[in-house]
Amino acid sequence: MESLNAITALQELDELRVKYTGKKGELTLLLRSLGKLPKELRKDAGQELNTLRDEIESKLEQTGRKIRDDENERQEKAQRIDVTLPAKGRTAGAFHPVMQTMHDIANIMQGLGYSVASGPEKEEEFYNFECLNMPSWHPARDMQDTFYFPDGTLLRTHTSPVQIRAMLQYGAPLRIVCPGKVYRRDNDPTHSPMFNQMEGLLVDKDVPFSVMKGTMTEMMNAFFGRSLKSRFRASYFPFTEPSMELDIECVECSGHDEHCRVCHGTGWLEVAGMGMVHPNVIRAGKIDPDKYNGFAFGIGLDRMAMLKYGISDLRLLFDGSVSYLLSGLGGEN
Amino acid sequence: MLVSWELLKDFIDLDVSPEEAAERLTFSGSEVEGITYTAGKMKGIVAARIDSLEIHPTERKYYIAQLDTGTGRHICITSATNMKAGDMVFYAGEGSTLPDGTVMGTRDFHGVESYGMMLSAEELGLHDVDDPSGLLILPKDAQPGDDAKNLYHIGDVILDVSITPNRGDLLSLIGMARELKGLYPKSLLKSPEWLRPLKQDKAWSEDFGTISLPDKGCYCYRLGLATGAKIGQSPLTAKIDLAHLGMRPITNAVDVTNYVMLMLGQPLHAFDLNTLPAREITVRAAHDGETMMTLDGKDRVLTERDMLITSGGEAVALAGVMGGEQTGINDDTSTIVIESACFSPVRVGHTSRRLGINSEAAFRFSRTVDPNLSSSALMAATTLMRDWCGATVDYKPLSAENEIYTPKPVKLTRRKLCTILSWDNMTEATEILEGFGIKHVEGEGDERTFLPPTCRPDIAIEEDLIEEVGRFRGYNDTPDKLPGELPRRADIGASMRLAGFIRQAMMARGYTEIVTYSFLPEDFPEKLRIPGDDIRSKTLTIANPISRDQMAMRTTLLPGLLSGLKAALASGRREPVRAFEQGKVFLKDDEHEHLEPEHVGALLYNGKDTRSASNDRAEGFYDLKADVCALIQARGYSPEFREGRQPFTHAGQTADILVEGKNIGWIARLKPAIEQELDAEGVYAFEIDISGLYDVKRNEFVPASQFPASYRDISLLVPADRSNDDVMKDIRASVAGSLALESLRLFDVYEGKGIPEGFRSLAYTLSYRSHERTLKDEEVEAVHNSVRESLKEKGYVIR
Ligand SMILES: [Zn+2]
Repeated sequence: MESLNAITALQELDELRVKYTGKKGELTLLLRSLGKLPKELRKDAGQELNTLRDEIESKLEQTGRKIRDDENERQEKAQRIDVTLPAKGRTAGAFHPVMQTMHDIANIMQGLGYSVASGPEKEEEFYNFECLNMPSWHPARDMQDTFYFPDGTLLRTHTSPVQIRAMLQYGAPLRIVCPGKVYRRDNDPTHSPMFNQMEGLLVDKDVPFSVMKGTMTEMMNAFFGRSLKSRFRASYFPFTEPSMELDIECVECSGHDEHCRVCHGTGWLEVAGMGMVHPNVIRAGKIDPDKYNGFAFGIGLDRMAMLKYGISDLRLLFDGSVSYLLSGLGGEN
Repeated sequence: MLVSWELLKDFIDLDVSPEEAAERLTFSGSEVEGITYTAGKMKGIVAARIDSLEIHPTERKYYIAQLDTGTGRHICITSATNMKAGDMVFYAGEGSTLPDGTVMGTRDFHGVESYGMMLSAEELGLHDVDDPSGLLILPKDAQPGDDAKNLYHIGDVILDVSITPNRGDLLSLIGMARELKGLYPKSLLKSPEWLRPLKQDKAWSEDFGTISLPDKGCYCYRLGLATGAKIGQSPLTAKIDLAHLGMRPITNAVDVTNYVMLMLGQPLHAFDLNTLPAREITVRAAHDGETMMTLDGKDRVLTERDMLITSGGEAVALAGVMGGEQTGINDDTSTIVIESACFSPVRVGHTSRRLGINSEAAFRFSRTVDPNLSSSALMAATTLMRDWCGATVDYKPLSAENEIYTPKPVKLTRRKLCTILSWDNMTEATEILEGFGIKHVEGEGDERTFLPPTCRPDIAIEEDLIEEVGRFRGYNDTPDKLPGELPRRADIGASMRLAGFIRQAMMARGYTEIVTYSFLPEDFPEKLRIPGDDIRSKTLTIANPISRDQMAMRTTLLPGLLSGLKAALASGRREPVRAFEQGKVFLKDDEHEHLEPEHVGALLYNGKDTRSASNDRAEGFYDLKADVCALIQARGYSPEFREGRQPFTHAGQTADILVEGKNIGWIARLKPAIEQELDAEGVYAFEIDISGLYDVKRNEFVPASQFPASYRDISLLVPADRSNDDVMKDIRASVAGSLALESLRLFDVYEGKGIPEGFRSLAYTLSYRSHERTLKDEEVEAVHNSVRESLKEKGYVIR
């Protein structure tokens, strides 16, 4: 047995096998000579010898496997590669934070039963303003400085015109969201002439404010991936009545940092405007406001993305080259 | 709007702090964006009497004053010259703090010690209130030792309130007081002294003709008279109030009009009666094309929607928007006429928006001014003309009126209240509405009628009443609920679904998602060499762009992709750039119909530094082609590529991309000239219209064959200008008989040594397979031979 442990080459192993268990091996010969023993001893000696033979054979087998494995391993090690060399081919691309946000929220809203609707970016005054209780003299127009085309059409200033288009197309009851680009004539560090909104609209019978509240809370929690405190403030939009704005707990400091660069120490972030749809707007969508009501909301997708991904300058999002692009591609290739 | 807490106390007894009121206002719809404590860090500044003044013994530009602060005497030196012994001034003694935080000490003025300093208005933090080079001389009622913070509203609290466009009634202190009364029902409204009724029954001492209002857009027009006025400075407190509220004090007569406007919300105009062209006023619609020079010196071209105030046929003001200069108050004015009128918000809104004039008056009129305010505001203004200018004002105002808006009753039902707010206490709701001045006029049960005050034209429908209740109660205690039964299956939609697929696919293939502006420089088609007859040169152009660089709507995504590349290069990037963008382009088709097709475009550039341990070779056209194929094939289509031309691409390395025979875009290397402009060699791009890919094509299911395929190779000598596609078509067409060619794959392209000039060698492997049986070598050989023969007949040389 000890001689087995010292074996390192297959050839030596074979020699051992021949010596003990081969046709003329010592053990084989012993077994053959059993017949010469007295009958009463023959049985016990036979059992003993067979056990010994099994033991030796299994030991030989084990040792043989180990020797082969060791040899294979030696060869494999000779073929060692540096696994830390870069991957072949391209590194994966990076997402645009606003687009990611748009798709994420659309998916969340689909889970709440909202379909995605769309409308043109070059919009008519009628859908963009007039149907929404904003005739041309209306002071609320001051809040939405507008790009016009020579034919009197305009670049939509919000996604709200899709409310009207969706009501006209689908009627009531209705649940839609509309994400997309909107345009206003502003350009400073906090405003970009192009930005992204998502409009939401629910029309049904006897819709209470509490459903809008629950919907907004659910959406925010799902998007930021945790339960956030929220608060609703009364506000004004010409196309909703009553109107509110939604603040959520600062995602950066949760209100614990008075020098917070995100909430400026207020602890709150304004993230959405909303309200119960004005009966005039329901009517403009050719739905009877005595039978149906509903709510609408608008979220700034860029702002949501900036909050989630910690981006400080809105305009960096649209120059095509921003740092996320560089860091996203940042690997070897 | 800026709201003075001190002035608010003239209108309401309110038992809360400004900070608490600010919070309540914010939650009820008028967001307080800031709170300013006007005294800043001011501490220890007191009123003092100048007991004596003498000139500095050596430096004659300084005066040495002996001051009495009631509790002590101080020596203080100043270079100001506007004071005299006996005057009251503000004194910042040793150890006191100025509003800006400066702590006062003693200072040596050429051998004489000055203990602190006497202050100008500027040093007190009061801008525009007084001559900044002189000391602020106080009225005689100041007592030595009085703390400056408690005098003349110097220590005020100013709330910066954002007033929504529907609440024109909140653009005044009295309006804010009414709102706070509604929000704090236990508070008490009150009136300042100058707002008490004044007996005005005397006939005018001056001749004046008529006021005529042919334009119904002027609801009412009133004139008050003040004679014997002395133009000068307003009282110190009034000047400080105006300054705190963001208005520069001018002269007492002008200040009166501004002050009353800020307090009551009624825009007023004061003019010198003697500069009025005629003693008559007419408010009429402008004629189309009529011009007028406004106060700011600009010639304005008017339309019929504008209203003019004229006198003797001459325009003196653009009604409700801006006055003319020639009738203004000057230092010699003594007979003042004050105009108090009300104009249609629609008309003023139109004029001010069209002309871009957002004066205080236009801002208020376009948000609706209470038509019933004009009389009381006029009376208040004349009262102040008496108090501040010493004028005689007991003349009966002249008035003309058109039909004036009257509020309509609005119904509130328990059902709707309950539906929207999930709360239905009609008694409490009634109390809340009454608190806001909305009168309960009828009904005691589940249906009640309310009459809004004339200052609240925004209350017109039931939802408006519910909003008043809602914003009083706040929205945060309402429980969160989710909507019930789904009207229909929610669908993310074909467009968004495709967009989602494309972005995931492109990112997985190594491209970074970008979003660029939809508007481009006007000359972008020219820069891309797009000729005038190309649909992409006919851009939709913004009439009022911010800049010429953002003026033309994009007709292709390429400029955005290139701007991304440019920016990456400008930032010093040397690694590869791969970017893609999805979005709409803006096109006019042949019928000039506007189209907004959705495109996807991508750009591939190997980078300035192409050394890489990851890639053995630089990528190019065929790598990008693989990406295009991946996108299109995943939608179930087989794209076709045909040699093509684009104005901005390499003449020899451009293809049209076809799906189901329809041209959906292009793939190419950019024109070398454009690459040179970018200083980047080897820039590849594609752009496709994805509208044909919304639905995944339904392809037939083909089960895998249980029988093995047989492979045969063939190598052909092909003229260099003959495309692989054409050769493959020929090979396919050559397979005749019962055996199907399962696949055809090009595995080698070779030109050079051993191949004649103008030719290349293309080697293909063909696989034959049957779904019914294992093919015999002989039959495969027979078919393959016939393919070879057929190709020879077509003129191919088989190698
Ligand atoms: Zn914060």
